[in-house]
Amino acid sequence: MNPVEPADGDSRTVEQACSPLTRRTFLKGSAASAVGLAAMAAALRPLLALEKENLTLDALLQRHYRELTPDQLGRILDRLEGECERTYGVHPEIRDIRPRDGTEFAYALNLGRCIGCRKCAHACLRENNQSRDSDEDINMSYIRVLELEKGGIDLETSDHYYDPGTVPRPGKYYMPVQCQQCREAPCTKVCPVRATWKEPDGVVVVDYNWCIGCRYCMAACPYDARRFNYSKPKLAAKHINPDQGYLSNRIRPKGVVEKCTFCLHRTREGKYPACLEVCPTGARVFGNIRDPDSEINYILQNKRVYVLKEDVGTRPRFYYFFDK
Amino acid sequence: MRNDRRTTDATGRSGLVFLALIASVLPLPGGESAATATPALPVVTKPTPTQPAVGLPTDRHLDKEPPRATHGLDLVKMGWTYNCMDCHRLLEAKWHRDAPMVEHQNIRLIHGENRFCLNCHHPTNRNAFVDYDGSEIAESDVVRLCAKCHGTTFRDWQAGVHGRRNGYWDTASGSRSQLRCIQCHDPHAPKFPVMKPLAPPTYPARAAHPPTEGRAQH
Ligand code: HEC
Ligand code: HEC
Ligand code: HEC
Ligand code: HEC
Repeated sequence: MNPVEPADGDSRTVEQACSPLTRRTFLKGSAASAVGLAAMAAALRPLLALEKENLTLDALLQRHYRELTPDQLGRILDRLEGECERTYGVHPEIRDIRPRDGTEFAYALNLGRCIGCRKCAHACLRENNQSRDSDEDINMSYIRVLELEKGGIDLETSDHYYDPGTVPRPGKYYMPVQCQQCREAPCTKVCPVRATWKEPDGVVVVDYNWCIGCRYCMAACPYDARRFNYSKPKLAAKHINPDQGYLSNRIRPKGVVEKCTFCLHRTREGKYPACLEVCPTGARVFGNIRDPDSEINYILQNKRVYVLKEDVGTRPRFYYFFDK
Repeated sequence: MRNDRRTTDATGRSGLVFLALIASVLPLPGGESAATATPALPVVTKPTPTQPAVGLPTDRHLDKEPPRATHGLDLVKMGWTYNCMDCHRLLEAKWHRDAPMVEHQNIRLIHGENRFCLNCHHPTNRNAFVDYDGSEIAESDVVRLCAKCHGTTFRDWQAGVHGRRNGYWDTASGSRSQLRCIQCHDPHAPKFPVMKPLAPPTYPARAAHPPTEGRAQH
């Protein structure tokens, strides 16, 4: 394991905990010398090219989420709300929602019940403000529904473009895959600037204002759970969900990576995630594993669950099981 | 869409028309007077047939529509709504019959070994369902009817892992709703129906726009 990986609940700032390579220390250090300045200019050029439409000095100098004082964060949220209104014509409410004490989330999905209707994949966009060209466009959905042959779990031969008249098709079963919120998340370990990390309630988040868009995390993810914004998100005003979280479904800038956060702006307030709300078969079970009476604990205690790609050692918080 | 069934205030009157019709075909013990006599039936409240609200009103952007719209215990014919007992107070309960039923021909029971209407419907009060001991299960308690024979599924449902809950997982923060069995399963043919899948993705995951297209546009 990387020696500088901050442990869960570590109170050190990112800057203290991590290598001198964070964006901030990098900026500070290089400002001190002329060589540094030149290096900085050179280093920033691609960044500026990438973000030229909406890069402001404010945004550039913004500190890492975990270093912000409530005051600074409040100003940032105001700024982001304003930017969203100017760009997309909708005034959102962007909140900073912190993990709850005594809460650790987990998800379970009943493969015996899922019929592959893709309602979850579509609801994901309705909730999370991903870029889309039309109502039908779910390429940025955090959920992929795989169609598999009954009798095996060969992911290599799975198909997520299936489009028959009706589902389920005989001889097939369906496996929705989204971020598994790994306890040993490879994506957080490879991030060179610590823009993605694991929260105390188990959710892996991204500070979209800190992400430099290198996409190492996407290469590291064994579940293909991350999406990249090659362009500025396209969103019609009528598609925007104004109930937004800083670390979850606020509209992303161009050039950053995004991912499923278990809808933390919902779930941290006690609500079910959007994909569960719409599932017509009731295949999805979500809850707090620290609560012995939760639905998720009932599953973990009474059903035979397994995790996807157990051999890669990611220890997911997302479980699958077969049951009627 | 759903719940737009044409109900009417004239239910009673139309019922009477039907009663008169039936009275003229069936040999009734008391003739006309049977139609007006109040039978000694326990009262089971008849809730409105509308489905209870699912989930939170703030989640309008999510399609939480249950797979099945329930009918309730009303018989709807040609836009009129009849109370089951309009007819059934005059009819003797039958477990077995030699000929196909003259009424309810739209109902085809495809429920495995569960082959008798009166396994579920109450023999003397058709506005209710029947428990093992012959007592009534109110329509609003229909889950208990299913629990009669599907104990393990019912246990899962109670724990919130069969079927679906909506709203707040944390009941200290807000309320939650739970779909009843018949909002997903047709009681007469309970196998979960097939559906048209929603639109698939069009190119590999990872990107809103494949790199080439992204470069071309920006
Ligand atoms: C598994 C239990 C069960 C069995 C067996 C059953 N029913 Fe039902 N029936 C129900 C339930 C539950 C409802 C209420 C449906 C609703 O609210 O959508 C119902 C509703 C009805 C209705 C009124 C609604 C409608 O669809 O017209 C009629 C009439 C009816 N049943 C007749 C029958 C007949 C005739 C049989 C035998 C062929 C039968 N049922 C067998 C459970 C059952
Ligand atoms: C229009 C009159 C009428 C109404 C209203 C009516 N039924 Fe019936 N129902 C009949 C007749 C007639 C039969 C018997 C047919 C036969 O014996 O061939 C019958 C048979 C049944 C049976 C089969 C068992 C038995 O005892 O014969 C069930 C169950 C049943 N009805 C349920 C209901 C329910 C539930 C409702 C209310 C939703 C309802 N019926 C409303 C006329 C009616
Ligand atoms: C009188 C007992 C009885 C009652 C009451 C009853 N069922 Fe059943 N149910 C059965 C039997 C028997 C089967 C068939 C099992 C089999 O064939 O393996 C069955 C099968 C089913 C199935 C599986 C169907 C399939 O083809 O996969 C479902 C779903 C179901 N019931 C739902 C319900 C619901 C919902 C209710 C309440 C409205 C209900 N049942 C009430 C006895 C009952
Ligand atoms: C959210 C929708 C939903 C609700 C609510 C729901 N079910 Fe199901 N149920 C399903 C699905 C989906 C399946 C699996 C598909 C199938 O085989 O029909 C299933 C399967 C079943 C089966 C078949 C299991 C087997 O072993 O073959 C039974 C029995 C059943 N349900 C009974 C119930 C009962 C009883 C209730 C209410 C206490 C209920 N269901 C509520 C969606 C639902």
